[in-house]
Amino acid sequence: MAKKGKREVPAMSTSSLPDIVFMLLFFFMAATTMREVDPLVTVQMPEAHEITELDKKNLVNIWMGKPLNAAAGEDALKIQLNDQTRDVEDIREFISATTVTKGVGPRDIVVNLRVDQGATVGKLTAVKQELRKADAISIAYAAKATNN
Amino acid sequence: MARAKKKAGDINSSSMADIAFLLLIFFLVTTTMDVDTGMKRTLPPWIDPTEQQNDVDVNERNVLKVNVSKSGMIMVGTDEYTSADLRRTGEHSRLSRETYMFLAMPDRSNKKATEINGMNYDVSEGLVSLMADAETKYKVYLQVQDELTHAFNLYRDDISVQVYGKKYDELDEIQSQAIRKAVPMSISEAEPNDQTKK
Repeated sequence: MAKKGKREVPAMSTSSLPDIVFMLLFFFMAATTMREVDPLVTVQMPEAHEITELDKKNLVNIWMGKPLNAAAGEDALKIQLNDQTRDVEDIREFISATTVTKGVGPRDIVVNLRVDQGATVGKLTAVKQELRKADAISIAYAAKATNN
Repeated sequence: MARAKKKAGDINSSSMADIAFLLLIFFLVTTTMDVDTGMKRTLPPWIDPTEQQNDVDVNERNVLKVNVSKSGMIMVGTDEYTSADLRRTGEHSRLSRETYMFLAMPDRSNKKATEINGMNYDVSEGLVSLMADAETKYKVYLQVQDELTHAFNLYRDDISVQVYGKKYDELDEIQSQAIRKAVPMSISEAEPNDQTKK
């Protein structure tokens, strides 16, 4: 009877656990990108069929939506450049600063307009006019794929 | 001689998994996996209003006028469209079919012989003039843009099949560039007419 008591299932070897976890780690490092800025405005993206993938390189984001800390009932839209909420007039300065840091011309950058679907065309046009003045004429209307 | 036997002890590696887990969780939290998607456009370069403008003469026949009102009603030429006409049934919505016909039909817009890949092909000179009221909702505006883009993409497919025998997305970079040049996404986005100022 003494023999039976000794027969135990051997402990599972965990020596390969670090290797497995490292493999997962490398997978995530390769497949994901760093989140550069935290959004300060909420943007409900519109849906569209004819969208293409935008190359991250030379992509500059401009957000337009309701501020996260907006009081109830207040629905003025704000523009976010980098990690600050700014005004339309600041776009030109922002574009010229971006071209300096990226070391490319204003026409080489693609401005990704992440505009809330409840925004008005008038507001969007104001942004587009500033972009034209800044000579950043290559833009993209951010949209997500539609299900229907 | 006892000294030679003294070996450096192995580093205990049992905490390696914990360290790796911590790193893994850190990366999971700080990174995103989603890709940016959107509709690409090129804006016309800025022209100083004080400078003399030499307007480009465009044949009226080659312009499809699309006007979006603030209530979401759409005028295409002289026809009234509603939001239901933006919804696709099968391949087309009413708006994209109309735009596609405008580009593709020989009697709707002028066709010009354009050199692609060393040969001449008849390509439409049609352009869409999109006007929207300042109060129009962006959602509707983008839906209209979507349908117009769809029509242009289908027309590009047609030309691409004529020239290379395959669809536009199956072409390589040089070929698709040639098609893009021959069939530009001619959607003119005019500044919205501001009713309040009139």
